[in-house]
Amino acid sequence: MITTMSLRDSLLDSAKEVFETMAFMALEEVHEDQEAPGLENETLLGTITFKGDLEGCLAICCGCHCARTIGANMLGADPDEPMSDDEMSDAIGEVANMVMGALKARVQDEVGTMEVSIPSVVRGRELRNSLGDRASKITVTVNLEEEHSVQFSLLYRESGD
Amino acid sequence: MGKSLMIVDDSATMRKIIMRTVRMSGLEFDRTEEAGSGVEALQKLEGGPVDVILCDINMPEMNGTELVKKARELASCSGTKIVMVSTESAQDLIDQVMSDGADGYITKPFTPEKFQEKLAPLLN
Repeated sequence: MITTMSLRDSLLDSAKEVFETMAFMALEEVHEDQEAPGLENETLLGTITFKGDLEGCLAICCGCHCARTIGANMLGADPDEPMSDDEMSDAIGEVANMVMGALKARVQDEVGTMEVSIPSVVRGRELRNSLGDRASKITVTVNLEEEHSVQFSLLYRESGD
Repeated sequence: MGKSLMIVDDSATMRKIIMRTVRMSGLEFDRTEEAGSGVEALQKLEGGPVDVILCDINMPEMNGTELVKKARELASCSGTKIVMVSTESAQDLIDQVMSDGADGYITKPFTPEKFQEKLAPLLN
């Protein structure tokens, strides 16, 4: 079965690929001993679940201003232009979808079948995903364009646990 | 007469992103339209063909693979090039949708260069 470190590296590589290719944004991992811009008070949490030999969920969490910037970059629009809540949510949902797809492509030989759901996005404060005590959790915090903080998390367990 | 394009994806944001990427790739279309579902796409195709369809796979009501099969049943779409654009990268899925009638496959995330590479030969 795939190791936590391998999953973590694949998650980070997948996120980098999506942000660099689709949003033209540089993404750098923030290590524990580094300072990073904190998450904004109000955040969006985009989640996509998967099932198979491994089951769980992948999530992306970022502030609303960050989400607006990501969406504008993906669309080639001015980040100061108004963006509806639906458009912001749609953009974050698509990012979650693509990161999950890229992750799946990297790990599917090791983890077997992965059926992926459609993404869902919620907005609020102190948003968290949980899969219960028996789930493993990987969290990767990244610095986006040296201005925004984005957190990726992967909660997973072997099916049948 | 110029070429026409239909983009089929349940995400309005992704449809705009694909449209932007097509423009950045240098490919030119005289007419473009969008559909938010396979059902909507089929309704529009029954009203007249398009030269190229860029189509997501995972959509509600009718997914992309079903749309490919149904579009191939329409006489008006006999010359239409259908290219799937999806996060799914499993080779067996790609092989299946190609045997169902798709002409190409682009995985998300994508670049303008990838669109040029996959679509230009189909347009010539």
